[in-house]
Amino acid sequence: MKGVSLRWRLIAGGMLAILAALAVSWLAMTWLFERHIVRRETAELTRVGQAVVAGLRLGPDGTPSVEARLADPRLMKAAGGLYWQVTAPAGSQRSVSLWDQALAASKVDGDDWHARLADGPFDDRVLLVERMVRPDKHGPPVLVQAASDAKALSEARGAFGRDLALFLAGLWVVLSAAAALQVTLGLSPLARVREDLSRLRKSPAARMSDDHPREIAPLAQAINALAEAREGDVARARRRAGDLAHSLKTPLAALSAQSRRAREAGAAEAADGLDAAIAAVAAALEAELARARAAAARESAFSATTAPLRVAERLVAVLERTADGERLMFDVEIPENLEVPASQDAVTEMLGALIENAARFARRQVRISGEAGLLVVEDDGPGMDEGRAEAALARGARLDEAGPGHGLGLAIVRDLAEASGATLRMDRSALGGLRASIAWPQASPL
Amino acid sequence: MRALVVEDDPVVGPDLAKALGEAGFVVDLSRDGEDASYRGEVEDYAVVILDLGLPRLDGLSVLRRWRKDGRAFPVLILSARGDWTEKVEGIEAGADDYLAKPFQMGELLARARGLVRRAAGRTSPVIQAGRLALDTRRMSATLDGAPLKLSPLEFRLLDCLAHNPGRAVSAGELAEQLYGVADTADANAIEALVTRLRRKVGAEVIETRRGFGYLLTGVTA
Repeated sequence: MKGVSLRWRLIAGGMLAILAALAVSWLAMTWLFERHIVRRETAELTRVGQAVVAGLRLGPDGTPSVEARLADPRLMKAAGGLYWQVTAPAGSQRSVSLWDQALAASKVDGDDWHARLADGPFDDRVLLVERMVRPDKHGPPVLVQAASDAKALSEARGAFGRDLALFLAGLWVVLSAAAALQVTLGLSPLARVREDLSRLRKSPAARMSDDHPREIAPLAQAINALAEAREGDVARARRRAGDLAHSLKTPLAALSAQSRRAREAGAAEAADGLDAAIAAVAAALEAELARARAAAARESAFSATTAPLRVAERLVAVLERTADGERLMFDVEIPENLEVPASQDAVTEMLGALIENAARFARRQVRISGEAGLLVVEDDGPGMDEGRAEAALARGARLDEAGPGHGLGLAIVRDLAEASGATLRMDRSALGGLRASIAWPQASPL
Repeated sequence: MRALVVEDDPVVGPDLAKALGEAGFVVDLSRDGEDASYRGEVEDYAVVILDLGLPRLDGLSVLRRWRKDGRAFPVLILSARGDWTEKVEGIEAGADDYLAKPFQMGELLARARGLVRRAAGRTSPVIQAGRLALDTRRMSATLDGAPLKLSPLEFRLLDCLAHNPGRAVSAGELAEQLYGVADTADANAIEALVTRLRRKVGAEVIETRRGFGYLLTGVTA
C-alpha cells in the first residue's frame, strides 16, 4: 500500500487541529455572548420591575394597583414583547401587553431579583425577572414580575453565531494556508535528501552533502557511513576476485610447464588437451579481471577525471619498445589541459589496448589525438572492414566468448568505455587504417 | 651467456631455468627479491627474467634498485597482472620487455633471445657524433651533454646517420634500415620523422642535402 505523503499528513493534521480549536472557541464565544446579553436584558427587566415596585399600591382589600410611568411602547401593545405583572394573594395586575395572558406565578424566596427563562404568554419563551415585595410592613407579599420575549435574545445569539462562524471559517482558511506553508518549508530539506540519495544510487562513490539541517544531518552522516561501508565491501570483494584471478595465473604457468614436460615425455595428445584447458581458463580469468576493471571504472565514472596526455605518453613509451612499436612513429596530439571524465586506470587500459591494436596493424604511423570529450587512436594500416569491426563490438558479445587476440582487447575497451559513460566507435581513418574513437556525451551547459 | 631467473613458484621457476638452459644459457635461479637483488649487483647477466610478485622484496623494487646502481642488463618482466598500468610501471622502472602469465615458453625464449641480441649488437657502447653522444646500450642520447628524450625509432635514425659520418644518407636507405622492407611512399614517413627529430635536437643538427639525403652536421669521416 502506498503511504500517504508526510506533507499531506502534516497539513491535514494541522487543518483538523485548527478546525477543532476554532469550533471550541466558537462554542465558548457564543456562550459568553449569550451570557452577556442575558445579563444586560436582566438589568433592563430589573429596572422595569423596580419601576413597577415604585408605583405599586395595595388597595384596602389587598388588590394591587400600579401607577407607574412606564413609557416603553412595547408595554402598551398586545404581545409587545415586554411585560410586567404583580400578583398578590387577593388579585393581580398586568401590563397591557399581556392582554388576556398571564405570567406563570412561582415561589420566590429572599428579597432580591431572580432571573430565569420560562414559558411565557402567547406560547413564547420569555426571560423572567421576579421578586417578592411587601408594600405594607404587615400586608401580604406581592410577586412582582417583569418579562421580555426571549426570541430577540436567541435571534441576537444566532446572528452573532453566524457572523462568528463566517469569521472563524475565514480564519481557518488563513491558518491552514499558514500551516501548509510551514510544513512545506519545514519538509523542503527532505527533497534535497532525495536528490542526494538518487545521486548515491547512481554512483557508489557519491556522498550525501554535509550542509543538511541539524535534524537531518545525523541521518545524512549515517547514510554516508553506510555508503562508505558498502563501497568498502564492494572494493574488497572486487579486490578478492582480482587477487583470486591473479593468484591463479602462476599455477596456470606451472600447469603449462607440466604440459610441456608431458609433451617432451611423448604424451603429445594429453599436452594438447592440457594446453587447450589452460588457454580457456586464462581467457576466463582475463575476462573476469576486465569485468572487475569495468566495475571499478563504473564506480569512479561520476567523480574521476584524467588528463589523457600523460597517460598516452607513458603508454607510447612502453609500446615503442615492443616488436610492433619500435618501427613506428607515434604522434600524440592531445592538448595538455584536456581532461576526460574517467579514472586513470580506465583511460590507461582503454588507450593501452587501442594503441597496442593500432601498433599491430600500422605500417609506419600511429596517431593519438584528443579534444573535449573525445579520444581517437588511428593508424595507417590496412584497416578493419566494417563487418568485422561490428562483430568485434557487437552488443552482447561476451568478453570470454570474444576469443583470444585483439578481439578480446577491443571488447575490453568497449566495456570500459561504456562503464565510463562513453561509447567506442570504429571507422576508417584519414591515415588509411582503423580509427577508433572513445566519445563521452558532451555535458550540456547548465 | 648467463641468465638470471627470479621466480618463487616451485614449478615455474625450475621449468624456466630448464628451458633457458636448453636454449644455451647458464642459468641462476633466485626465489626471493633480496637474493635476486644481491645477485644482480655482483654478477653480469646477459638477460634477467624477473617475476614481479616475489617474497621479501617485490620485483619492481628489485629492478629500480639495479637501475639506480647502473646495472644495465636487459630485464624481461613476468607478471600475473597484465594490465597497462603495470606494464607502464614496469617499463618506467627500467624493464626492457614484459610478458604476462600464463605465457608460452616459446614466446618467452624468443623475447629473451631478442633482448640478448639487441644488447650484444653494441660493441662500442657510446658513439660521439659531433655534438651528439649516442649510448647504444641504453638507447639514450645527449646533445652537448644534455639528455634527449628520444623514441627508439628516432634513436635508430640518429644511430644510422652517426654510422655514416660525412655522407648524406638517402630517405630510401634510411627507410630500409629502419623498416627492413621499404617502398617509395616511406620517404614521406622518414621526412616526418626527421622533422620531429629536428624539433627535439635542433634544426641545425641534421642537415638536408637536396637530392642526396640527410647527414649529421659537424661529423667528418
